[in-house]
Amino acid sequence: MPLDHRRLRGPEESQPPELWAAGTGAVPEKEEEEDAAPQDPCALRPLFARAGLLSQAEGSAYVELGGGTKVLCAAWGPREAAEPGAAAAAAAAGGGRLLCEFYRAPFAGRGARRRPGSAAERDAEREAAAALREALEPAVRLARYPRARLAVSALLLQDGGSALAAAISAAALALADAGVEMYDLVVGCALCRLPGPAAAWMLQPGEPEERRAVARLTVALLPALNQVSAVLGGGQGSPPDDWAQALRLGLDGCHRLYPVLRQSLLRASRRRDATAAAATTTTA
Amino acid sequence: MAPPARYCVPGERLCSTEEATAGSGTYTRHGFIFSSLAGCLEKRSEDSGLPVVSVVRDAESQLLPDVGAVVTCKVCSINSRFAKVHILYVGSTPLKSTFRGTIRREDIRATEKDKVEVYKSFRPGDIVLAKVISLGDAQSNYLLSTAENELGVVVARSEAGVQMVPISWCEMQCPRTHTKDFRKVARVQPQFLQT
Repeated sequence: MPLDHRRLRGPEESQPPELWAAGTGAVPEKEEEEDAAPQDPCALRPLFARAGLLSQAEGSAYVELGGGTKVLCAAWGPREAAEPGAAAAAAAAGGGRLLCEFYRAPFAGRGARRRPGSAAERDAEREAAAALREALEPAVRLARYPRARLAVSALLLQDGGSALAAAISAAALALADAGVEMYDLVVGCALCRLPGPAAAWMLQPGEPEERRAVARLTVALLPALNQVSAVLGGGQGSPPDDWAQALRLGLDGCHRLYPVLRQSLLRASRRRDATAAAATTTTA
Repeated sequence: MAPPARYCVPGERLCSTEEATAGSGTYTRHGFIFSSLAGCLEKRSEDSGLPVVSVVRDAESQLLPDVGAVVTCKVCSINSRFAKVHILYVGSTPLKSTFRGTIRREDIRATEKDKVEVYKSFRPGDIVLAKVISLGDAQSNYLLSTAENELGVVVARSEAGVQMVPISWCEMQCPRTHTKDFRKVARVQPQFLQT
């Protein structure tokens, strides 16, 4: 039979590409909803934290939660307070000022809920920055830095749920890495409650769960002093016992996350001293 | 061989106040000493009383000018009532970012304060040793004073651009043009002079 030279001929047998696509995580929405149900509500997602990675900032930290929430945070030590007018309130208290910024990368969300760069996005960022400040202020010894301002900037690289909680932990690590005097590290933990008559509170929700949740809560805790610095969030009303139980669950989650953050900070201190010692021996 | 250094994080409980006294980088609460910095634990024994526990970081922590500290600053502008300066060094440690300070006319000299003329004491570009007298309120900057013999202008350039030599406590002379200029000169301590 005459050969067909004008076309590329594929193999005789062919299989659908979905066979090879299993397990990559780019799964359609309905499969995720089926997986969400049997998830253990008290299970914490694996947390990776590293401090002291940026060279251009005095302190920095990167926190990643298993499941795709990535936050990068940088902190700068005391600088002169810039606007004298606005500092009147803080100077009356006699301490320094903590300035927080929270930015969401344009590629952070899968299927953006808001158009990046729109006013709604900026409002959400400003709200998150105010929440960050509320959670961090009790932990920093502002009285030791009169008339100075400390700056913290958090960048959300990928949003996979519990973004604000990860940002709080990263910001506290960055401040401690910058050498700012603090009373304690701040650990953040997020919870949410899914719709349904007898739904229980769930620790560290993923992105689809957060989107469907009727109530969300972020708790910030100072673990060594056992003090809560901020409780943020809200949603559908329920009996106060329910909220109290959610709070207890969140605090327990924070206590369990604290050793990881502590270890990363110790490792960063050791790394910094080792590089400083190596630099002095090479120059001396 | 030095013992392995013990690192601590902010909020870590170090010991009770009965065993030691709190040093820099720590704070006390409920009768215990907690760490306030992420750094190395240091225990120094004092002759009188308890050892002092402090937490140090190798990199020099940012010093803020404190009341009573002698600072080195550079004059950026003058006025008939005060001189505005940028604070560069606190003691002998350089600051990473400059702070702003003000030297009022009545704080330039200790005697004859009303006869002082700022134009005859400082000029823009002079390096001045001053002492912090107040942190200032919300609107103003750090308040500095040079009302002592050891404080005042240390380095000044004449109009010819040459560094001037001090002749007395109120005059400096340019070595090239031999013109005399008025400055409030500091009597620098002999141990700081390089001869």
